[in-house]
Amino acid sequence: KKSTFHKKFLKILLGISGASIAKNITLDRATAVVLSCRLDNKYSNLKSLQVTWKKGNETIGHNTTENSWSIQLRISDNSQLGSYSCTLKGEEEFSAVFHLQVPKIEGREKPIVTYGGDTAVMICKSLGYTPIAWTWYMTNGSKQIAINDTLLPDKYVITRISANVTRLKILKLTKEDDGVYCCEAAFELGKSQGKTTLKVLSLMAPLRPFLAVVAEVVILVTIIFIYERYSKKKEKYA
Amino acid sequence: SSAGERTEEEPEAGKRPGAGGWAWGVVFHFFLVNVLVMGMLKTFGIFFVAFQEDVGGSSEQVSWIGSIMSSLRFLGAPLVAVVCRRLGERPTSILGAALVGGGCLLSTQATTVPFLCVSMGLLLGMGFACLYQAAAVMTAKRCGTRLAFSNAVARSGMGLTFLMAPFTQLLIDFYGWQGTLLIFGGIMLNLVPSSMLLRPARARPPRGFLTAKEDSGTLGGCLDESTRGETQLPSAQDPPSTERLASHGGDVSDPVNPLERVEKCPVASPEIATEGKRSCKPLPPSGKENSQPLLDFSPLKDPVFCIFTWSFLFSHLAYFVPTFHLVARARTLGISSMDASYLISVAGITETVSQLLSGWVADQNWTKKYHYHMAYLVLGGVTNLLCPLATTFPLLMTYAVAFAVFCGGFMALVLPVLV
Repeated sequence: KKSTFHKKFLKILLGISGASIAKNITLDRATAVVLSCRLDNKYSNLKSLQVTWKKGNETIGHNTTENSWSIQLRISDNSQLGSYSCTLKGEEEFSAVFHLQVPKIEGREKPIVTYGGDTAVMICKSLGYTPIAWTWYMTNGSKQIAINDTLLPDKYVITRISANVTRLKILKLTKEDDGVYCCEAAFELGKSQGKTTLKVLSLMAPLRPFLAVVAEVVILVTIIFIYERYSKKKEKYA
Repeated sequence: SSAGERTEEEPEAGKRPGAGGWAWGVVFHFFLVNVLVMGMLKTFGIFFVAFQEDVGGSSEQVSWIGSIMSSLRFLGAPLVAVVCRRLGERPTSILGAALVGGGCLLSTQATTVPFLCVSMGLLLGMGFACLYQAAAVMTAKRCGTRLAFSNAVARSGMGLTFLMAPFTQLLIDFYGWQGTLLIFGGIMLNLVPSSMLLRPARARPPRGFLTAKEDSGTLGGCLDESTRGETQLPSAQDPPSTERLASHGGDVSDPVNPLERVEKCPVASPEIATEGKRSCKPLPPSGKENSQPLLDFSPLKDPVFCIFTWSFLFSHLAYFVPTFHLVARARTLGISSMDASYLISVAGITETVSQLLSGWVADQNWTKKYHYHMAYLVLGGVTNLLCPLATTFPLLMTYAVAFAVFCGGFMALVLPVLV
């Protein structure tokens, strides 16, 4: 089956010597991309400019037109994504970088705080682009273990709430569930991950400060009570 | 004890020595009540966000919790006044502290918004009402000539609430909202020993007696009858539709000089609300005090008073709304929750300072007090209208500060304008 190619045209205007300009481009499906670097008109008098296009650190070929240099790319798999840079060398040097990436996944920066026995709900959103599939991983040390909700249906529940949103529910939390969870979205051009941190506290954690405060209250009450009794007695005999 | 207090204590010859010092205990308790109660109310905005994320429910549903909590503080006042009369202030206060502590603890088990409405809204609201009423009444009873000053000191507790906002956010980050509520329950239980400082007056209260008027910041709200002779304040702030606070009966009316008409005001702070403002009811001379009606609608016959009450009603409808939703708005705009809690702190400090300044400025009598009142209201309204323009942290901070300035100024002038 022939995949239909989308088309994108991206240009960067160069005019600042030395400073490197970068542009981020998000691609989720096979696309025909044209990247071009154009030199600002105020530099049109510069002669003998040599342009180099690089993917990462390797040089690739390019097309030349007056004052603008471009490359055409057909991005159809993950290996073709990356950073493409154009460098114009002459009396002054200009450079720009295009970062071709898969869409970013939004997780949660703040950790979710839950207690043992509770249920935790984690949501991942893909902004603007619909992934083909979602997978959830739990990070154990440096390894990522996929979460299989069919294997343990009364522990994990994975639902796809809408095309761009996935939800992982973890029931009956224990200390071992503490850690970093990754939701991975699979796109045509690759995979992208979002992270959520889960903190599982035992009930003792907030209980300690609570008991400390209650103890202080009890002590104060006792002191006041005793003082009142004492002063009542004093009055009786006074 | 001060000279003012000594005049009160003359009839109380049998009182234990050092009892005058207990007046400061009462002030301290009231101060603590202000800190914790107002702190809880103002930091509700932080809980609001946590509840929305965890328990779910739309903004309207979650904000009901806060609404019930803050409105019951005053709506519950008539009921609390009756309880106070039966049990006395100290047991009422301890009951209030227990309700608040219990409500907080119960809320940790909540999983739905209606549950929270009852456990956090109802229980905490009624608890706050008990605490506040009892504390304010005791302050009025105990402080004599120094009432204005004690009132001001106690009120300054509101200013400390600025510390509670980042503290709450910190606790939520560490322990989640359940753990935070648990710890808060414990902290609120501290009000039990401080309630025990509300020792009932053993002997007779003074003949000339105080009309304790509470307000949220004005300093000289109360008059001491022993220095002024007969006073009759026409002020009662009453809800146009419902009942008045019951007069605080019992032990106070006996030694009343039959020639003086004494007014006694049960306490309620006119800070929020639709209802439950202070009412001063003229008491008939001593023989008749047991036959006072529980509810007295006479001030409602005064048209100016009615207008004022309506204005008060509407302005207070809006007073707490920004504070509740400020944090949520900040979060929607992408501001971190710690920074959002600083917004509340800054607003709190600004409001306190603005109350004091506004009271001082109004006392200078450069122009009629109600001009200031109107100006603050109008400016406050304009600030709110411009609020949607605040989309970054500095702008939101500016809005919070401006609103706090106008609110504080307005609050301080409520009582002077009324009187």
